[in-house]
Amino acid sequence: MRVRNTLPYTFLIPTVLLLMVLAFTPLVYAVSVSFTDRTLFEATSSWVGFDNYAKLLGDRRFINSAWVSLKWEVVTVTATMLLSVGLGVLMFEAASRRSRAVLCLIFLVPVLLPRVCAAFVWKFAFHPLYGIITYPYRAITGNPVDVLSDPNSALLAVAFVDVWQWGFFFAVIVLKLLESLPPQPIEAARLDNAKPWEIHLYITLPMLKAPLVSLALVKAIESLRSFDLIYVMTRGGPGIATETLDMYAFSQGFIESGNISYASSIAVIMLVATILIFTIIWKRVNR
Amino acid sequence: MKRHLFGQVVLWFFALIVLIPLGWTLLNAFKITADLLTPVPKLFFKPTLENMAYVLGRDSVFAALVNSLIICLSAVAIGLALGLPGAYAVARHPNRATKEVQFFVLSLRFLPPVAVAIPLMVIWLNLGIYDTRVGMIISYSLITISITLWLAIPGFLAVPREVEEAARVDGCGPYAVFFRVALPVAGKSLLGALAFSFVLVWNEFLLALMLTTSDAKTLPIVASEMSQLGMNVPWGILNAAVVLLSLPPLLLLGLLSGFLNRAFAQKTR
Repeated sequence: MRVRNTLPYTFLIPTVLLLMVLAFTPLVYAVSVSFTDRTLFEATSSWVGFDNYAKLLGDRRFINSAWVSLKWEVVTVTATMLLSVGLGVLMFEAASRRSRAVLCLIFLVPVLLPRVCAAFVWKFAFHPLYGIITYPYRAITGNPVDVLSDPNSALLAVAFVDVWQWGFFFAVIVLKLLESLPPQPIEAARLDNAKPWEIHLYITLPMLKAPLVSLALVKAIESLRSFDLIYVMTRGGPGIATETLDMYAFSQGFIESGNISYASSIAVIMLVATILIFTIIWKRVNR
Repeated sequence: MKRHLFGQVVLWFFALIVLIPLGWTLLNAFKITADLLTPVPKLFFKPTLENMAYVLGRDSVFAALVNSLIICLSAVAIGLALGLPGAYAVARHPNRATKEVQFFVLSLRFLPPVAVAIPLMVIWLNLGIYDTRVGMIISYSLITISITLWLAIPGFLAVPREVEEAARVDGCGPYAVFFRVALPVAGKSLLGALAFSFVLVWNEFLLALMLTTSDAKTLPIVASEMSQLGMNVPWGILNAAVVLLSLPPLLLLGLLSGFLNRAFAQKTR
C-alpha cells in the first residue's frame, strides 16, 4: 500500500482558493453595487433595487453600445479567421521551410506589441494629412481622407488594427495545425489530381474543424478586450460610433458622471452575457 | 512552380503590411517635427535623438518604468509560485476535479475587464491600496496565476513519466520529483509560459487606467497620456515612446516562438 499522495491537494487548493477570492470578490461587489446609487464623489449610497437596470433598457446610448459591441465581435472574429486560414494555407502550400520560419517570426510581432502601441502606430498611419497609409489617396486625389473621424469607417478602421494584431498570429497557428496533420490523405488527394484549394476545402480544413472553432472562440473572447485600442484611437467617437459596452461603462463611471453604480450594472450585464454564451459554447466544442 | 512564385509574392506582401508601419514608426522616432509632418512622407532625413532623450529624461516616464517593472515582475513571480505547482497537479492527476479546475481557470479569461476593474477600484479605495503598487500587483496576479497555470500544463505533460518513475525508485518523494525532475525537464516550456504572462501584464491597459491615478501608473498609461501634451500631438515623442514600450515584449519574441513550436510539435507526436 502506497502512502497517500498529498501533492495534488497542497499544490492546487491554495491556488484555486486565491483565484476564487480574487475573482469572486469583485464580481459579487459589482453585482451589489449595481443595486445601489453609489457615485465617485460620495462614499454613502442607498439601495435602489433594479432601478439602474430599468434605466438601461430605456437608454439609447446603451442600446447603441451593445449594437457596436456586437458588430465589433462579428467583424473582428470573421476577418481574423478568414485572414489566418488564408495565410496559413498559403504558407503551407507555397513557402519553403526556411521562409516559413522567417514569416512565422514576422507574423508573431503584431500580437506582441502593447495594444496602446499598435493603436498609436496606426493612428499616425491613418493621419489625414501626414499618414503613410492615406498618402496614396492624397497623392492621387489631392484631398485628405480621415477614416477615423468618419462614423461610417471609424469602427472598420479600428477593427482593421485588431485584425492586424491577431490575424497574423492565428495564421502561424493555422500553419502549425496543418503541419500536424497526417500527410497520407493529402498525398492520396494529390495523386487523384485534386487542386490545392480542393484539398484544403474538402480535406484539411474539415479535419481541423474542432481546433479552428476553438480558435474563433478564443478570438471572440479576446475581442471583448478591445478597450485599449478604441480608447487610444477614437475614444468611442466620432460621436458614439465606436462606443462599445466597456467604453460606455468607463465613460459613465469615470469621465462623465462618476456614476459607479450605473457603470456596474452595464458591466454586470456584459459579464452575465459573456459567461453564459462562452461557457455553453466552450463546453459544447470541447466535449 | 509558377503557382508557388505567386503565392510567395502574396505572402511577402502581407509580411510588408506587418513590417512597414513598424519600420515607419521606428524612423519617425528619430525625426524632428518638421520632417515628420510633411504631406509627402519623407524617407531620408537627418536623424535626431531629441525625442528619445525627451522621453527617457522625463521623470514621469522613469517612475512609470520602475512601476511597470516592479508590478509586472512581482505578478509574474506570484504566477510562477502558485501557477506552476497547480499546473503540475492538473497535468499529473487528470480526473474530474482537476478538469473542473482547468475550466475554472480558463473561464477567468471570460471575465470582461471592466466588470473586474470597477469593483476593484471601490474595494482598493476602501482598503487604502488604490493607486499603489501592492494593489496593482494583486490585481495582476489574477491574470498571471491563471495564464501560467493554463499554459504550463502542456509543458508538464511532455515530461516523460519514465523519468519521474526512475526518480521515485531512487527514493524521491512526490515533492522532490516535482522540484528536482519535473521543473528542470520542463524548464524551457515553463519559461515560455512565464514570458507569455509577462507580456500580457506588461501590455495591460484598462486595469491600470482605472486603478491608478498618479503614484502607481504603468508605462502604457503614461505613453497614452503623451498624446495630450500641449495643443498639438507631439508625434515624434509619441513614436519614441511607442518604440521603447514595445521593446521588452519584442525581446521575448524568440522565446515565445520556441514555446509555440514546442507546443505543436508535441501534439504531432
